[in-house]
Amino acid sequence: MTQPNRNKPQSVDSRRLKLTNDAGTQGVLLGSCCRQCGICVFGSASFCQSCTGGDLATVELSGQGILYSYTIVRVPPAGWPGPVPYILGQVELSEGPHVLAEIVDCPETGLEIGMAVVLALAPVKTEGSEAVKVVYKFRPQLTTAGASKARLEAQRKEKP
Amino acid sequence: MSQLRPGREVMVIGVGLHPFGRFRDKDLASLARDAVVAALKDSGVPWKDIPVAYFGHVYYHGMSVGETALGPLGLTGIPIINVENACCSGSSAFWQAYWGIASGMFDLALAFGAEKVPSGPVTVTAADSPERYIGGDHMMAGYALRARRYMAETGAPPEALAQVAVKARQIAAMNPFAHRKDTYTLEQVLASRLVADPLTLFQCCPTSEGAAAAVLCAKESLGQFGVDAGRAIRVAAATLTSGSYNGKGSDHSAFSPYRTAQAGQQAYEMSGLGPEDVDLVQVHDAATIAEMQHLEALNLVPPGEGWRATLDGRTALGGAIPTNTDGGLLAMGHPFGATGIRMVHETVTQLRGEAGPRQVPGAQVGLAQCSGAGDVTTVQIFTK
Ligand SMILES: [Zn+2]
Repeated sequence: MTQPNRNKPQSVDSRRLKLTNDAGTQGVLLGSCCRQCGICVFGSASFCQSCTGGDLATVELSGQGILYSYTIVRVPPAGWPGPVPYILGQVELSEGPHVLAEIVDCPETGLEIGMAVVLALAPVKTEGSEAVKVVYKFRPQLTTAGASKARLEAQRKEKP
Repeated sequence: MSQLRPGREVMVIGVGLHPFGRFRDKDLASLARDAVVAALKDSGVPWKDIPVAYFGHVYYHGMSVGETALGPLGLTGIPIINVENACCSGSSAFWQAYWGIASGMFDLALAFGAEKVPSGPVTVTAADSPERYIGGDHMMAGYALRARRYMAETGAPPEALAQVAVKARQIAAMNPFAHRKDTYTLEQVLASRLVADPLTLFQCCPTSEGAAAAVLCAKESLGQFGVDAGRAIRVAAATLTSGSYNGKGSDHSAFSPYRTAQAGQQAYEMSGLGPEDVDLVQVHDAATIAEMQHLEALNLVPPGEGWRATLDGRTALGGAIPTNTDGGLLAMGHPFGATGIRMVHETVTQLRGEAGPRQVPGAQVGLAQCSGAGDVTTVQIFTK
């Protein structure tokens, strides 16, 4: 018998993010699609938000989308565990639903409405314990050239 | 629309306001009671005649605060209902008072609201919510997302957003009840601290304390209670909607002006009036961007033109559609439970012709719109 690992990374919200390995480095976003009217929403659900029907399929979303809008939050809400400022994005997933999440690995100057983004998972320490929550975030989906340019800009920004 | 079957005609016969601001040594019930006493005095109806009361508030100050507020006026045994509906708590209390009379159940009703909002960014979810780690539950960040998208879609410059705040303060300088009465320039608004860009601090409404109250009466009962019919203002429509599916899902919809269009359309249909009839408007300007988007959603300015209307002065006191004629949330401040009834107070005061230096000349029709978390939206239309 092995003891359950209390510090095993947990999904920040298992209705929205399913982890697919014990280390919490891999996972998929969950959605619900209605077999009656065909609409798809972010997160698992028992009833359809559009037609109220109860015949829904839980689906794994692609984790790809475009940046619908963004803001750089300089005064964080109470309980925000990350660094400040942080970039908050409104991502339109390729399946349709919108998701609010942090945008990472992107310099402020690299932000652009309409840019392609992909799911990125990040461990976040919970307050007052060793437990780790894995939070869904998004990062730019970059071409090879774009990626190195963004990395350079990010490095330049980090240096005082 | 079948649920909106107008019943008896309803009038607002009294309004009262406790100044908005910070009142550390005064509890919520006392703030609320002061507004109620003012509204009763304004109506001429004594407390003992009020048959029902609805109280809007959000933050927890113990149970049954409505009863605590009204008890010292006399324990008359009437139904007192505490209403929580986010930023629409006050306007939801008003909506219930309206229907209580329209339905024929009561001849009089009291709607009141009060709040002591804590300082700092406002969040919607509970402290143990996953949103704490995700970072999306931040009221002003939500408005900032809307602002960034709106600017990209319409070409609105930052100056247009800032002008909403400049106008709010100019009006509030003439309003002794406002939380913020000092004026500032476009440059000062733009240079104030960034909260969530493009929104600077002066483009976000202050968290405030305050209270507002309104006394409503069936039109056919005005004589019975000796009410001055000349100062009574008709409620031509009162609508309330909550979230309906918009194709984007819940994460996005909380910030959508989509609801305002729905509740506004219902109010236009209920009143038989249209946007062209509206002489002045109060909208939920929790942040500068919201004022222009709500004006567009209510068809009071053409789609995508809210920012031009602002820069052209169309929304100013002397403009074609005077907007937030008491300073709005941006300058009055935003005590959640009081805000919706504060808008009723201002609209009634304007239609009575009693707004002093802020008076919109010849105002006959006024509209008030509130929106809150849970996608709650209320709209009322008032006529002289
Ligand atoms: Zn469906």
